[in-house]
Amino acid sequence: MMQGQQQSTGGPWTAGNGAAPAPTGSPLAAAYCPVAGAYDEAYAADGGLRPRWQQLSGLLGRFAPGEFSRRWQESQRLIRENGLAYSAFGDPQHQPRPWQLDPLPMVAPADEWQAVSAGLIQRAQLLRMVLDDLFGPQTLIRRGVLPAAALFSHPGFRRPFHRIANEGDPGFLQNYAADLSRAADGTWWVLDDRTESPSGAGFVLENRVVVSRMLPEAFRAMYVSRLAPFFISWQEQLRELARTHRDNPRIVVLSQGPHQPDFFEDAYLARYLGYTLVEGADLAVRNSRVWLKTLEGLSPVDVIVRRPNSDLCDPLELGGASPLGVPGLMQAVRCGNVVVANPLGSGLIESPLFMAFMPRLAAALLGEKLKLPGVATWWCGEEASLKHVLANLPRLRIKSAFRRRGRDTAQSHELEGLAPEQLAERIKANPAAFVGQEVVHRSTAPEWNEAGGVRPVHLVVRAFAAASGDSYTVLEGGLARTDQSTAPNADSDEPAEKSKDLWIVGHDEVEHVTLLAKRDEPIALRRAGSELPSRVADSAFWLGRQIERAEASARLLRTVALRMSSESAGQASPAMPALWRVLAEQGQIEPGFVVEGIRQRLPKLEQSLPPMVFDATQPGSLAGVVAQTFRIASQVRDRISVDSWRVIKRIQSQFERADAASADWTRVLNLSNELIIDFAAIGGMVSESMTRTQLFRFLDIGRRLERALQLATLLRCSFGGKDPVSLELFEAVLEIADSLMTYRSRYLANLQLATVLDLLLTDETNPRSIAYQLSLLEGHIAELPRDARRPRMDADQRLITSMSHVVRLLDVEAVAEAQGLGDETVLRDLLERLEAELPQLSDAIAHRFLVHAGPAIQISSIHYDG
Amino acid sequence: MKYQIRHTTKYAYTEPAPVCHNVVHLAPRSTAWQTCRSYRLTVVPEPAERTCRTDYFGNRVDYFTIHEAHRGLAITAVSEVDVEPRGALAAPVTTPAWNAVAAELAAGDASRDPGIAQFRFASEYVPLAEQFADYAKTSLKPDCPIVEGVADLTARIHADFRFDPKATNLSTPVREVFERRAGVCQDFAHLQLACLRSLGLAAQYVSGYLRTDPPPGKPRLVGADASHAWISVYCGAAGWIDFDPTNNVMPGVDHITVAYGRDYADICPIQGVFIGGGRHAMHVAVDVMPVE
Repeated sequence: MMQGQQQSTGGPWTAGNGAAPAPTGSPLAAAYCPVAGAYDEAYAADGGLRPRWQQLSGLLGRFAPGEFSRRWQESQRLIRENGLAYSAFGDPQHQPRPWQLDPLPMVAPADEWQAVSAGLIQRAQLLRMVLDDLFGPQTLIRRGVLPAAALFSHPGFRRPFHRIANEGDPGFLQNYAADLSRAADGTWWVLDDRTESPSGAGFVLENRVVVSRMLPEAFRAMYVSRLAPFFISWQEQLRELARTHRDNPRIVVLSQGPHQPDFFEDAYLARYLGYTLVEGADLAVRNSRVWLKTLEGLSPVDVIVRRPNSDLCDPLELGGASPLGVPGLMQAVRCGNVVVANPLGSGLIESPLFMAFMPRLAAALLGEKLKLPGVATWWCGEEASLKHVLANLPRLRIKSAFRRRGRDTAQSHELEGLAPEQLAERIKANPAAFVGQEVVHRSTAPEWNEAGGVRPVHLVVRAFAAASGDSYTVLEGGLARTDQSTAPNADSDEPAEKSKDLWIVGHDEVEHVTLLAKRDEPIALRRAGSELPSRVADSAFWLGRQIERAEASARLLRTVALRMSSESAGQASPAMPALWRVLAEQGQIEPGFVVEGIRQRLPKLEQSLPPMVFDATQPGSLAGVVAQTFRIASQVRDRISVDSWRVIKRIQSQFERADAASADWTRVLNLSNELIIDFAAIGGMVSESMTRTQLFRFLDIGRRLERALQLATLLRCSFGGKDPVSLELFEAVLEIADSLMTYRSRYLANLQLATVLDLLLTDETNPRSIAYQLSLLEGHIAELPRDARRPRMDADQRLITSMSHVVRLLDVEAVAEAQGLGDETVLRDLLERLEAELPQLSDAIAHRFLVHAGPAIQISSIHYDG
Repeated sequence: MKYQIRHTTKYAYTEPAPVCHNVVHLAPRSTAWQTCRSYRLTVVPEPAERTCRTDYFGNRVDYFTIHEAHRGLAITAVSEVDVEPRGALAAPVTTPAWNAVAAELAAGDASRDPGIAQFRFASEYVPLAEQFADYAKTSLKPDCPIVEGVADLTARIHADFRFDPKATNLSTPVREVFERRAGVCQDFAHLQLACLRSLGLAAQYVSGYLRTDPPPGKPRLVGADASHAWISVYCGAAGWIDFDPTNNVMPGVDHITVAYGRDYADICPIQGVFIGGGRHAMHVAVDVMPVE
């Protein structure tokens, strides 16, 4: 390893492979057909590789043929397992699109990147000054540098944002990104500025992990700059922003939640930077301070890394009943008790309109020329520019001047579809709403394909800068997004086809830095993680319940399928009427199926049930329950282990592939068998690998509660009636409750009510009995945080005590005897009581610990009568 | 004139709400002709926290939150205000031509004065459109003195539009008000703003009150017993001049100014958000009493 590094020091860039045999496994050695008229990153005009790409090719050339491909297969598994996905997961309508990564990195020499960095820093400083001015004294308007319309007809200039950055704050822009593209002559241009809350840095990290693990030799030998210094600088900046608790501020990442496309990145960044990931509902404003709602109570927040758009952040002053928002947030910011980065309103300046003014702004505010030019842009709100745009319509790209992040995409598509005459009409009707932009012919770079060859793809690089004192630190890397489209200047808002890791390659050894604490720094011992947001505990609780519910459904289905698919018994099994009843109770079939008389008129269950199992539109169906489990799991995706998540994804994928119409009992049997094993795996991971924190506690409370409830229903439907219980039914019940083996080992084949009830109801040593669940629940509830000064029991304590008591006191022999004499009420009353009190317990826990908030509601406005 | 004003807003929820946050614009402004001598905001239940600040437009904003479960909310603002007659107006014919004012706003000094220029553009409740400009041009003919033209426009809106509280609600767009030819003071103010801004003029929305009982021998004005709204137009050298399209008058001592903004959305009297609480009902009462 060290040898490899030393070999390539010093000499020319091809020296590393000078002594090596002819390249064999380098994809870059394959035939390549560059795109005419575009700058190619890898190949010079004469067709030869540029020096650093030549070095890369040489290093990859040491691979045996097929080695690159083999390593890529491995890496793709890593991507899948990390659940890297671009679109929202958990939304049944939108399947997550797996992150598409090209294994060949984009290579840029460090000296060239230095020039780009200097340009980015200048732009970021300039944009910050413009924001500070527009949200402050507005001298740019007074001096006539910016026309009033540019600001005052901008929908992003919401008045409450004015002066929202505090005195002494380092300004309006902590995080900045720019989309860069290289024109045919090799110069870099800025296509778009990103100032609202630039996304993509998390994907840069993820790409780096994958590619550097896949190509460690090349990564080391080429002296690729590290990403960590940028993130360290970002962390330091955030720490310095804190106005209170300066020694150890609480910093949170305010996410848009699991149903937004950026959630994966939010979660990844929060974990990487070591901050708590929160959603709007996790935060509350009290006394002009922002607090995190945790199980232990309210905990103060000092800095918020903001991910949602500004105008979604405070429904009180900005309107909209957005669940992403925190009512009162702006008040807390104004009081200086919390700092939001980027500050609310920072997205104003990423509208294309400002691109037209950047040269003028640079001259007015910095007295400098732009080091990194933006795409030439004309704002139609100015007479001369309007003329120019109308005269050059076919070669310009028309955009909404005031476009804001994540909006107006429909409009841009519409504009693209218009004929020049229509476009001209639209512009003339409201010139100030449009800009015309020069088109940059994006550069190309080789993309690897499965056949082992390369083809050119167009490329846009997103570069990142984080404030650092008065200046900025630029990420030495970036997100290179590629696509095949021939459109020369694709919209940088659109999801690209693939991405590449950007390697900034230097000439010297790279210093190794890490965000993890240095090894010799002592770390205080901690047994519990940071406080758990109530919402996460809530999701864990419901995830526990849902997993158990899905398992119970699968177990019941398996027992039914076994009887339906075997030749002998089939419909005739005396156990079936009770099993249909349980299916109806679980909502897997319509209640009508178990009512004699109605049943005759319904389609035969034997044929209609298997397709229903796979029908996710039925909430009670197994597919529906699994989909719900997946949805809840995705909300706590960042809190559960990678392995558990993988199993949950696998379960969900069983249903995605399934063709419901053709389902039969054999498929139901196979599926339920697989699911039972998968659920056992999750259960095993939970009990063996999760630390006993509050998160585990709430997950387990959910599981125990649901398991007890499912058992009570099973027992009532099976033994709660007047009919004598058949041996087949005893066997089926024991099978569903996973206790048949235990029973046989105790009582052989002698099936009796008293012994079955003892095992499933009152035996505290059987992990499948009701008594066992109640006993664990009692333990968990005793450990929940509560006010020790309160003299009496809370509702949850009362309920669990009373249920445990009545089950412990139950005399199963007496119950069986009564049942034998025709009195089924003792058992049924007990089970019905449990079925009523367990949901009450669930409500009591939810009410006391979990549900702190509902959605924010706007009070109705006043319609003047005058 | 001296007034005592009492503005009460009551909310009743169907279920208890544990938290509510509010921002209110209820304090009368002090201007060249108006002095707010006292202002007291009473909230029941007692807020856990209350503060005030000055908003972007120079209006006082009160902020308060309630952190205990409550089933209702009563907000009462009591103010004492002295209103003097506004300075003698220049004769309307001597005011600058409206198109000269528009030209100044487009490229002159006023175009670089944020305090004026910002009232020239579309805002949430005030769209710009050809049809509004056309309607306004009947009154504002080329080179027509601005006050004369706007006064004529005010009279036409008053004549052409029917006052009808049932015709519109807060979400009725100005375009529909224009088609239906009916609405309330807010609608007429927004409409007139749309007309003037569509011509390139700068105009503000004014919220306030009217005296409840008319002086002896005068008719009772429409909009008393409630919040009222009218407009203020930038007239070049003549400054900002108010017009009330609902009553076809130029506001004087009967109009009490509370706040200025681009439209209703900027200076909504009460903005609130509560968590929980179910559905809610609202009741408003305004009493404007001349004192002495």
